Amino acid sequence: MNGAQHILEAFHRHRISTVFGYPGGCIMPLYDALVDDMGVDHVLCRHEQGCALAADGYARASGKLGVCIATSGPGATNLITGVANAHRDSIPMLVITGQVPSGLIGTDAFQETDVLGMTLGIVKHSYLIEDASSLPAIMEEAIELAQAGRPGPVWIDIPKDLLLTEVADAPCPRPRQQHTHCPDLTEVLAMLRKARKPLLYSGGGISLGHAEASFRAFAESSALPAVVTLKGIGNPGKHNPWNLGMLGMHGSRAANRAVDECDLLLVIGARLDDRATGKLDGFAPNAGMIHIDTDAAEINKLRTADLAIRGNLNEILEALSDAVKDMPLAISDWQKQCRTWHTTGGFQAADNEEPLAPITGPAFIRQLSRIAPDDTVIACDVGQHQMWVAQHYEFDHPRHHLTSGGLGTMGFGLPAAIGAQFADRNSTVINVTGDGSFMMNAQELATIRRYKLPVKLIIMDNQCLGMVRQQQELFYDNRESQINLDDNPDFVAMARAFDIPALHIERTDQIRRGIETILAYNGPMLLHVAISREENVWPIVKPGASNREMIDETRRTSTANKEQIA
Amino acid sequence: MTPQADISIQSYTLNCRMSQEAAALERLCQVVRIRGFRIARMAVESAGEHIEIVLTLEGSRPITMLRAQLEKLHTVAEVAFGQDSGARVQTA
Repeated sequence: MNGAQHILEAFHRHRISTVFGYPGGCIMPLYDALVDDMGVDHVLCRHEQGCALAADGYARASGKLGVCIATSGPGATNLITGVANAHRDSIPMLVITGQVPSGLIGTDAFQETDVLGMTLGIVKHSYLIEDASSLPAIMEEAIELAQAGRPGPVWIDIPKDLLLTEVADAPCPRPRQQHTHCPDLTEVLAMLRKARKPLLYSGGGISLGHAEASFRAFAESSALPAVVTLKGIGNPGKHNPWNLGMLGMHGSRAANRAVDECDLLLVIGARLDDRATGKLDGFAPNAGMIHIDTDAAEINKLRTADLAIRGNLNEILEALSDAVKDMPLAISDWQKQCRTWHTTGGFQAADNEEPLAPITGPAFIRQLSRIAPDDTVIACDVGQHQMWVAQHYEFDHPRHHLTSGGLGTMGFGLPAAIGAQFADRNSTVINVTGDGSFMMNAQELATIRRYKLPVKLIIMDNQCLGMVRQQQELFYDNRESQINLDDNPDFVAMARAFDIPALHIERTDQIRRGIETILAYNGPMLLHVAISREENVWPIVKPGASNREMIDETRRTSTANKEQIA
Repeated sequence: MTPQADISIQSYTLNCRMSQEAAALERLCQVVRIRGFRIARMAVESAGEHIEIVLTLEGSRPITMLRAQLEKLHTVAEVAFGQDSGARVQTA
């Protein structure tokens, strides 16, 4: 068995059945081994960035390891954005790249790049294979490491000659599972019982820790008012009456108000990102903080916790849930207050009753949320549409909402949707994108066609880079700079060129039929939705400002707003 | 507390032990740099399968944050403060 065959054998042993890749010179031995392999489905994307982002989407939707493969040089550098995306959002990923033969490393050989050096900052760990005999142990370690604790991408760079070198085929012993003990939660419970206005703040760590069910149980049994980060959307479930939705820069007024006024913040699986907290000095100014996380380095990183608990989120949440079930929290006044805020300051978008009126982003997303099946996976891109989805789509599970939170990668949505569809060929997967983002990985339409994936594509087209335009309008004296995209291609014709049928809508009375048509179609279909160029995402907090200084549409021209904008 | 809260620059000594592997030192130095510290002095000694590194660092951010990030590195076995950590750096 040579190195390439060993890699495939390790895939089999770890039940890795789907990988995303693109062949080339130095990775050819692995592709040669694939010819004789029956157990691994290789998905050929049309750009290595598409491979990495599809592997990312696969991992997010399935909770399994995402795997991507590329050749040396440009193959590896093209992966980098996708791997950085996975790193910033802690997505379990294994990256395998070919490298020039060992003897040519450092000679500026054809398609040689120092992959190990240039990716140090975007991986959980990385390896350059220097000896074929080390490959089996490194494969085992890499697969384990990518998924252990706080997950992340692990990169193996392997010279071509070592892919062809014989390695011992004896399977390596799996690394020992670390047994953890649930930490003592007495103090957490004491602080919760003492607090008059406690607030639950959760993030992407819940699904990363496979703690969705235990979180849901705790949220329900504690009846704590809850806010979520962008990556935590779906944690409490759409029917939780205490869910105030997303906080932060484009969060709801209710969520930010609750953070502002709470006296205890129970942060679970979140890293207090600046887009969520706003200016730190003004964040939850009256609150003590309990921080529960898997990653010790997140504790006290940005704000000192009054109590920090590091451990397995599932174990901790189950224990907390049992404890509060036996003795409910006495916070009825606070619950009532939060409900009132939610009613008056939640995300609201009036459905336009005028049938010929232009389509607005929020109204479209609310309709989509009502019509699409409950278990639909929405893969967003980055920009205004991403925030409208976060605000107005009602998610019942965090794995139904795939969004590039940390890196904010335009072009994420389409390949991520492809990955999600491979994770479950029978699920409804919709890529909600903008005209700017769509063009960044539009080549992957060919992947949808090749594998006959029934992915639905919705382009919300405002013929500009809407989020940049919005910030130029509000914070740069309306001096528009390089945001105009009014020479976009004909997206309907473009989809049809890939054998993907497409529809165009532009009026409010066309929304329902458009959505129902693409959902009913037995295959991929694109819905092109023309929306106004001038539409903004509300509310908004100026970058660097406190969340208390939210600007909303109704107050856009008020004196107070003008002061905040200035 | 914020990373920017204390703008005075302090000097620290960190003793690190990590596995010998490709790019070990680069990995360590990358984390030190991106987390806001400058390497004033660095001594490296190979010890079998490990390397021992003594770093003299200067920075204004909490050193505990850097230590936590270094301890996350898969091949770092140990990070310990040296005796003279926390001295204020004289600036003109």
